[in-house]
Amino acid sequence: MTALARSEWLKIRTVRSWWAYLAVILLLSAIAVAGEIGSAEAANRSEHGFQLGLVDTVGLAALLAIILGITIVTAEFRHGTITPAFLVAPRRERVIAAKAVVGAAVALGFALLALLVVVAIGVPWLELVGAEVRLTDGEILTRVAQTLLSAVLWALMGVAIGAVVQSQVAALVGTLLWIFLGEALIVGVLGLVDADGASAYLPFRALDAADGTGGEGLHSYWPGVAVSLGWIALLGALGTERARRRDIT
Amino acid sequence: MIEVEELSKRFGKTQAVAGLSFRVEPGTITGFLGPNGAGKSTTLRSVLGLVHPDAGHATVLGVPYRELDRPLHRVGAVLEASEVHPGRSGRNHLRVQAAAAGVLRSRVEEVLALVELSAAAKRRVKGYSLGMRQRLGLATALLGDPEVLVLDEPANGLDPAGIRWLRDLLRSLAAEGRTILVSSHVLAEVAQTVDRVVIIHRGKLVQQATIAEVIASAQGSTRIRSPQAERLRELLAAAGAAVTATGDGALISDAPPERVGELSAANGVVLHELTIERATLEEVFLELTGGETTE
Ligand SMILES: Nc1ncnc2c1ncn2[C@@H]1O[C@H](COP(=O)(O)OP(=O)(O)OP(=O)(O)O)[C@@H](O)[C@H]1O
Ligand SMILES: [Mg+2]
Repeated sequence: MTALARSEWLKIRTVRSWWAYLAVILLLSAIAVAGEIGSAEAANRSEHGFQLGLVDTVGLAALLAIILGITIVTAEFRHGTITPAFLVAPRRERVIAAKAVVGAAVALGFALLALLVVVAIGVPWLELVGAEVRLTDGEILTRVAQTLLSAVLWALMGVAIGAVVQSQVAALVGTLLWIFLGEALIVGVLGLVDADGASAYLPFRALDAADGTGGEGLHSYWPGVAVSLGWIALLGALGTERARRRDIT
Repeated sequence: MIEVEELSKRFGKTQAVAGLSFRVEPGTITGFLGPNGAGKSTTLRSVLGLVHPDAGHATVLGVPYRELDRPLHRVGAVLEASEVHPGRSGRNHLRVQAAAAGVLRSRVEEVLALVELSAAAKRRVKGYSLGMRQRLGLATALLGDPEVLVLDEPANGLDPAGIRWLRDLLRSLAAEGRTILVSSHVLAEVAQTVDRVVIIHRGKLVQQATIAEVIASAQGSTRIRSPQAERLRELLAAAGAAVTATGDGALISDAPPERVGELSAANGVVLHELTIERATLEEVFLELTGGETTE
């Protein structure tokens, strides 16, 4: 298993998109933090809520995490490299498991990198303008931990979706459409039939709850994590079974 | 060593493999032959646990591939030359596979040198020629120093020098005691390399024999020219041989030249030409496989 995980880590690092991921995180995080601080009223900058919001910019790592998770599975089907992957590990579930472990670890790395940008830009800037830096407050540290775990959950969801769908384009486009359109539609329909409560159980509404930022009609944090894990387990099991059965021709 | 028993696989309406059985003996190079669409790749992929057969089964080294411990150290495979991420360098492709198989990094450099790809190892596979991709595939198969090699059309895309190189490589690998199953749709391509052939057509076994037997079955005919062709024709026909006349006035008979010579000498018939015409391997192959492809 560690051999397979090392191989997966090498796979991620040895294609150019790796640098694209890192560049996008650095760039978007820097822009987000600068935007937050630059646009805030001077008086607000010392506030607890404002600094929580700074931590929340790390949330963009989640989107990259799910793209990574989907891609590390589907790229193998797309390029046919699934053949050598299954030749070296004919018990295919081990390949999927290795991808989940490494995808989760790399997503954690993405979130940590984004956090680093927030700290590296945010702290000196806040100190420069004489604001009180509260980034080590208990509540803020909790939010940091929640954001890191959220990136891990999104990556795992990506691996599970990738294994279910297997086609790269369909998985990426389908997931984005589902997140930004599909769930909103379902939430609307559930509202019409007086079943609003059910919408919190939708996969990405659950993931939304599991980033700790809260929101209207969402589960609270731990139930959100639990429902997310339930979806990941369900889709992961389905996807693994599909990968096991598929004829690799 | 490799055993395929009553293997069947259907894809939708296509019966790719239909009750195929054959064995590959240890320490031999076996050619796995059949026209396009005969079911070679499907069979090899079933042997390697990549395709789930509908019926029958295949074993390697006595067990289904899936049950092999550290399979890359036991069985090496080259399937399609295109199964590489185009953006990864050749060396990194091998490192990825080596890491998964628990093979040392130094072995990556060894196999790169073995397939003469060291100079291009840094380049992205996108820029490789088909021949270079085949070499990379071979290098991947050899990573674990396996005792069994399964190669699906490894000569595809190789130039004549490359084919000779491949032939020599396979020979030296076999000389080390490895068992090799190599597919091709051109009999002549592997005739000089293999000990045995398994010929399939439409997913079924057509012939399983030594290459010597196949060459022997390339039965010859005799070409005769004589100023007394009509007389000789009657003599041959009377002796029970089949005779046909060709457009240029020669005769073709299934009687061996010795027999024709004896007959003509005994009857005072003058001969101007007496030659053996052997069917080529390709003709034998085409005859065995019906001279058409399944696709
Ligand atoms: N995944 C698939 N889906 C549908 N049909 C398939 C699939 N794989 C193979 N076939 C069909 O099964 C038959 C056998 O294919 P296979 O690839 O095994 O032949 P082959 O002997 O390797 O041919 P070639 O010499 O062209 O490589 C063909 O008719 C092919 O079209
Ligand atoms: Mg084929």
